Amino acid sequence: MKKSNSKGTKIIVILVAAAILLVLPFLLPNDYITQIVNMIGIYIILGTSINILTGYTGQLSLGQAAFFGIGAYATALLNTRLGLSFIPCLLIAMVITGVFGLILAVPALKVKGSYLALLTMGFGEVIRIIMVNWKEVTNGTAGILGIEDASFFGLVLGTLKQYYYLILIFVVAGILYQRALVKSRTGRALVAIREDVDAAELCGINVTTYKIRAFVLSAVYCGIAGTLYAMMIHYVSPDTFVSNTSSVILWTAIVGGFGTVVGPVIGGVVMQVLPEVLRFLGSWRLVIYGLILLIVILCFPGGIFPYAERGFNRIRRKIRPESASARKE
Amino acid sequence: MALLELRNVSKVFGGLKAVDSVDLKVEDEQIAALIGPNGAGKTTVFNMITGAYKVSTGDITFNGENICKYKPHIIVEKGIARTFQNIRLFKKATVLENVMTGFHCKTKTGMLNIIYNPMMTRREEQEVQEKSMEILKFLGLDGVADLQAANIPYGHQRLLEIGRALATSPKLLLLDEPAAGMNSAEKQELIKTIRSIRDTYHLAVLLVEHDMELVMGISEDITVLNYGRRIANGSASEVQNNEAVIEAYLGRKE
Repeated sequence: MKKSNSKGTKIIVILVAAAILLVLPFLLPNDYITQIVNMIGIYIILGTSINILTGYTGQLSLGQAAFFGIGAYATALLNTRLGLSFIPCLLIAMVITGVFGLILAVPALKVKGSYLALLTMGFGEVIRIIMVNWKEVTNGTAGILGIEDASFFGLVLGTLKQYYYLILIFVVAGILYQRALVKSRTGRALVAIREDVDAAELCGINVTTYKIRAFVLSAVYCGIAGTLYAMMIHYVSPDTFVSNTSSVILWTAIVGGFGTVVGPVIGGVVMQVLPEVLRFLGSWRLVIYGLILLIVILCFPGGIFPYAERGFNRIRRKIRPESASARKE
Repeated sequence: MALLELRNVSKVFGGLKAVDSVDLKVEDEQIAALIGPNGAGKTTVFNMITGAYKVSTGDITFNGENICKYKPHIIVEKGIARTFQNIRLFKKATVLENVMTGFHCKTKTGMLNIIYNPMMTRREEQEVQEKSMEILKFLGLDGVADLQAANIPYGHQRLLEIGRALATSPKLLLLDEPAAGMNSAEKQELIKTIRSIRDTYHLAVLLVEHDMELVMGISEDITVLNYGRRIANGSASEVQNNEAVIEAYLGRKE
């Protein structure tokens, strides 16, 4: 009885959320806001990527923007030079970022903690400098213009509303995969590596291959985000993939809650909406933005989501005391 | 043939011979102990058996196979599990998840099965969860299955570490100072637990321990190390009356 009851509320919550997400673009007043919402989606994917690598596996990365950029540039080049459409661009970009994830994983296996942070930061810089200087391919600081709209199965996307749905599909798929992954044998192996490498080995976990998998998977998520970004914006340049972007990606996962499935969603919303809401502050905007983030971290160590979840459970217990004793599944 | 056999095993760190030509045998379903004063090289021996340290010279065979060349996670698959002197659990995971992680080498689901074979994934997950609960029940930890490992009492944490090791279905369980920090009543309880683990799971146990109450109460075979060398081997009474052992622990009679 109790079980079906809480399952029932869960289904209702999911249906309501789905309905809101489906009609959301029609509630947004203009393209400017739609663009922000789309960027939230892209940052949820990026936040999920670092959540898998850092939140679950414990491998701190300050170079996620590089993978994001590699995915975006791969798509930009494949589209403008070879005329490939969305799906082949996406698949090839995923493979390319995955390969770069593997390349970074090899030295990353040898270091940990702050050294790993420096290594990944260096990787990010190297990629950015290549974007700036390899002019024959990347067109330098001017970037690559004229990326075509995403098209697949005879369908050509033109408006930001249409991109909203495309991004939504990948956000939902990305979160669902992450959710299944962390509850699986692989997820337990990743958490084991984060918690205690030696003990993980003594559970029969091949630490090397699992760390590599985490790096590759994390890079592939960024590759997807990069493709979506390039197709939606029609333009890529090195300015987008700077270390500040890596920081924002990291903050997206931290603010929401590292090592939680929903964390990157909350983080994505906070990190994208906050700077827009603060626009009225003019030149004080970034100062206040930074201050608010600091306060969030101080008030919610471990991220907003765990606190939200606890608060939600407390309210539910007050409303229906009997559901408190019902264990989840 | 012994289940585990160390022949002439040495470990050299720089110029220091931490373990010097040690022989050690553990038979099937035997409870054996490795004792010795601080720094005698007991944990080093453990680390060589589990593959954390490479053997400098000598051979370690398990089930008739030389295991010196294997990495730790392979040795676990072969059937050797261990616990640590200072408890090393996955603290932020739940008690149940800790044990489920131990089933890693006995399961197969990979990153892609989740997508193209969700049925198999779910079935395996269900099975692992049931088996893990069985182990927790056996150890009396089923009541705390959903708590974070960091939040259960110390004694339970020690048991949980054993539970996680049991999940790898070992034929040999290495316990590194399982009685550390326990009072006399808890030690008696631990002796019962170790015996019942051996009888239920049909495995051999090798323990490193300082606590003589535990060692003498449980071990069928005792090996004594001092300064990296084996100075005695035999039953509890044999070892207790051995001149070299008394000297190592109490000093020479003038």
